[in-house]
This record gives sequence, structure tokens and C-alpha cells, in this order.
Amino acid sequence: MFFHIVLERNMQLHPRHFGRNLRENLVAKLMKDVEGTCSGQHGFVVAITGIENIGKGLIRDGTGFVSFPVKYQCVVFRPFKGEILEAVVTMVNKMGFFAEAGPVQIFVSNHLIPDDMEFQSGDMPNYTTSDGSVKIQKDSEVRLKIIGTRVDATEIFCIGTIKDDFLGVINDPASV
Amino acid sequence: MSIEPFNRLVKLAARAFYDDITTKGDNQPKTGRSDNRGIAVVVLDALSRRQWVREEDLAKDLKLHSKQLRRTLRFFEEEKLVTRDHRKETAKGAKIFSAAVAATADGQQPTKEGEEKIKLHTHSYCCLDYAQIYDVVRYRLHRMKKKLKDELEDKNTVQEYVCPNCGKRYNALDALQLISLEDEYFHCESCNGELVAESDKLASQEVGDGDSNARRLRREKLKDMLQNMEVQLKPLMEQINRVKDLPAPEFGTLQAWEARANAQRRAENGESSATDPSKSSHGLGYGGTPMPFLGDTKVEVDFSGVEGKGNDIKSEADTTSLKVLPPWMIKQGMNLTKEQRGEVKQEAKMDDTLAAPEYSDDKKANTEDNEKTLQDEYFKAYYAALIQRQQEEAEKSRQVGMKSKRDENEGDDNVNWEEAPVAGDANGNFKVNDLNVEADATAEDEDDIDWEEG
Ligand SMILES: [Zn+2]
Repeated sequence: MFFHIVLERNMQLHPRHFGRNLRENLVAKLMKDVEGTCSGQHGFVVAITGIENIGKGLIRDGTGFVSFPVKYQCVVFRPFKGEILEAVVTMVNKMGFFAEAGPVQIFVSNHLIPDDMEFQSGDMPNYTTSDGSVKIQKDSEVRLKIIGTRVDATEIFCIGTIKDDFLGVINDPASV
Repeated sequence: MSIEPFNRLVKLAARAFYDDITTKGDNQPKTGRSDNRGIAVVVLDALSRRQWVREEDLAKDLKLHSKQLRRTLRFFEEEKLVTRDHRKETAKGAKIFSAAVAATADGQQPTKEGEEKIKLHTHSYCCLDYAQIYDVVRYRLHRMKKKLKDELEDKNTVQEYVCPNCGKRYNALDALQLISLEDEYFHCESCNGELVAESDKLASQEVGDGDSNARRLRREKLKDMLQNMEVQLKPLMEQINRVKDLPAPEFGTLQAWEARANAQRRAENGESSATDPSKSSHGLGYGGTPMPFLGDTKVEVDFSGVEGKGNDIKSEADTTSLKVLPPWMIKQGMNLTKEQRGEVKQEAKMDDTLAAPEYSDDKKANTEDNEKTLQDEYFKAYYAALIQRQQEEAEKSRQVGMKSKRDENEGDDNVNWEEAPVAGDANGNFKVNDLNVEADATAEDEDDIDWEEG
């Protein structure tokens, strides 16, 4: 799920960036530092959408770096148990398949793939129904349901299922 | 618009899902007196006999405190079984509603004269929403089944993997660290052994360690639950199917319903004046308070004649003995252990004898009305009829005894829920069968008390 929230961060800036462009430099560094990172609490920071407030800088003893408390608005993506996501399959093996929904990696184990889909090994390992009408392989797009998340301080990993109504392949790259 | 199948649905659903609902807060002590489980069923049943009803009147009819009733109704509103409407109204507004009630031929007399003096008052009304009840019950059944099935099929469980070499356990959330580039299996982080999925292991070796044992037990329990659900809710599911293609009874909003009912009444009476509801409602008098389970007007008429008396009792007795037991009654008698069977036979008899006071109450009431004029003339005929009835009852109870035996064979284990109250109530009436004619006086005394209370 996506959220638009306000976060705060202490930015350390080298004195060489001081001057007329201090603010621009600060924001550029913030984007570089923050966008694409993941915190267990808030999820993945997708994009910074605005700066709320930059506080007074404080010179650090000994280094000359100045730290600015910066309040910024951003869009975060945080997967939840029970959430339905659309994802692209990245790898298929005998144990199941891996897929990505933006920055999130999801594993779907083979017992959560419908029983009528069989694993086929080969150059392009895949799961296929007995009549061959539905096939899951690399780059397939699937709709899946998150059934579990592992949230570390800097990482979120999900497991999902496609064994339910309206889940499964939504676009088959082989047929396009 | 047939309302009967839908009312049956309401009654079945009430007993299946709302039987042990208590509307008391959790912090209040649950003494025997404050334990109001079963109220929900009573309220739903009462609503199935009415259309729109003012909540105060319903409370009065059910002899409930209006606060308690409101709490129950609020619960049902949240459950989406009941629509409610609140409005500020003057005495005149109340009259319009009374007229509408009178027009629906329930013969209810909701307002006392005293209430009409209140200037402006917020009144709440409620009504069953049949279309929504159908959907709610269907959805509830669907969710129950789906939840059990999902659990049974391990749909939402995290797959576990175990290393056959070192016994280290992993689960699907570790998958990212376990993939290897060489083959398509997961490999142990410490010994690089090929991991085996836990359920495969269970199937291939039936390893009896504690964890998998517990899992197997749980599966069996789930399977039992699913099966029990199918059996116990079968009457409800059948009723759902029966109702499926029928148009749901629709009373509309309170205003629409009122307008319709009043228009109908005016059409019937050929009246031109818009509001003269006081006449119709006053005509019923205070004694007209409805007692749905006693409202057997047929009996009232029959007992005023001498010659018809014996026959009428007989026909009534016939119908009660042939009466098809409602499914929730049949249910309780089924699938009993052998020790309990004796009890059930009693119970079946008691159902029967419980039906008896119904018309003996009526009889009592009516004889009281006519007592002074009729007593002398009909005294003998009355007792002759009583004796006849006793004999018929004895016969009848034998029949019912047979019937209950047959019911027991059908199998069900939901037994306990209504036994206690029935047993407590029926002890006295039970004598009627045992002691036959001599028990007349005591039986009637008890009926008397019942009559005053209820
Ligand atoms: Zn190992």
C-alpha cells in the first residue's frame, strides 16, 4: 500500500556545498540518500515530493560538517499481509517462483500455486496447466496475495499465494 | 409477496448464529439474572411477525426494558438484519403510525392514551430487512466455509523447509537466501544440503515428531468442524436455496410503508377523512395488546357454542399431534447418547404438553369472560370435554413418543441448548399426563399463573 507521509532526517553537509545553492545541494543529497531505501517501519521510500522545513544547521565538532534537520514529504510503499499486488515474475524454480512488485520481492512457494499447475524444467522453467492454457515463467505478470511479510530494519520480504479466486497470471509474455 | 419462507430463514438464522449472543457489556457480572442470552432470538422472532414497529411498543409486547431492547436492536442494525428509523414526532405523527399499524391487520394497539399528550418526542422504529438478511446469511455461510477450507488446504500457511543433513529448519520467508545458482532447489546455508519441503516429508515418511503430529491433529479437527458445519447448518442452507428465486418482502422506508398502509385502510373502509385513527385504535381497547402465541381467535369463537365444543377440541388435538416440528426443534432431539434418550422422550412429551396450555389458557380466559352467564349451563359439558381432552392427550403423547424415536436416528450433536429451560418449565404440566383427571385442578392453577404473567 502507498502512503504519503512526512519524515525527518538529519542531513550532514560538507562545507564545500555551502553558498548560494546550499538548499538545492541539501535536497539533492536527500534524494540521493533516501529514495529507494527501505525502512521496516515505513516501507520503501519511492519518491520525495516536497520539503516541509529545514532547521538550523549545527556544526559538528572536529569535522566541519554541518547537520541540518530536514522535514520532507514522501511517498512510501509498504506491503501488508492480505494485500493483493500485481507483480512481475523474476525467477521460476522447482520450489516456486519469485516475483517483484516495484521494490518488493515476493516468493510464491509451489504449494501455493494451484494444484493443476505442474513444474516444467528446461531453458525456460515454468508452471503450466495440464491443457497448457496458463503458463507462469520469467516475465509473466501475476496477481498475488501477500500472506506473510518479513520486516527487518532495512529490508522487507514477502511471501504470496496465487491459490485463490482471481489470482494468477494476468498477462502471458509468450502470447504477446 | 410471500413472507413465510423468509420468516423461516430469519428464525433458522437466529437460532444458528444469534442463540448465545448477549448484549451486556463484558465488564458487567454475569449473574443468572443478568444473563440475557436468547433475547436476540426472541426479538428476531417477534420482528418476523411484524412489519415496521415502534421500539417502545415492541419492548412493551416483549416485556423487555426498552434499553435492553434497543441494545439488541442496535446490535442487529450493525449485523445488517434490521433497518431502523428515528424521528421526532408529535402526538399526531404517532397517530398516523398507529393507524398504519391498525391497517396491517395485526390488531396491534400501540399507543396508550397518556402518550398522546407528549408534545414532541423522538421515536425509533425498526423493521426486518429481508433482502439484506438473505445476503448477510449467505455471505456469513460463505465466509465460514471458506475460512475452514483455506485452513484445511494450508492456503495461508508459510511453507517450511528442513535440511535432511543437519536438520536445520527454514521457511518460505528465508527463500531469498536459500536459492542457489546451480540448480532449482533450495540449499542449506550451513551444509549446502538440498532442502525438503516439510509437507513432502510428512507425506513420504510420516515422521512422527511432535510438530507434524500436532499439525495432523489440527487438520482432522478442521475436517470435523467443516463436516459438522455442513450437517448442522443444512436446514439453513436449504432454506437459503428455497428463498433464492423468491422476491424478498419489501416494506420500504417507514414513511412509504405508513403511507401505503393508511391508503390501503382508507380504501378498505371507504373513508374520506384522512386521519381518524383514534377511532380504530381506541376501538381495540387496552385489552387488545397482542399476544402472538395466544392469538388463536378460532378457539375463542368455537368455545362459545356448546355442541361444537367436543369436536373442536378434537380437531385441535389432531392438528397439534400432526404438527411438523420446526427444524431447530428436531435438531435438538437428534444424535444422543443412550443415557440421554430417556430424557429426550420426556422432552418430546413436554413439547406436546407445552402446546396444551395454549388452548387451555384461551379456554380459561374465555370461560372467565362468560363465567357468570354460562357457568351453570355448561359446567357439566365443560368437564366432559376436559376428560375427553385428557384421554386424547394421553393417546397423543404416545404417538409423539414414537416420533421422537425416529428423530433421534438422524444424527446431530448440538443437543444442550434448549433442554434446561424446557425441563424447568414443564415439570408441572407433566403431571397432567401422569395423574390424568385428578390433576385437573393443579394443572389449571398453574395455567392461571402463566396467564397473569404472560
Ligand atoms: Zn544443512
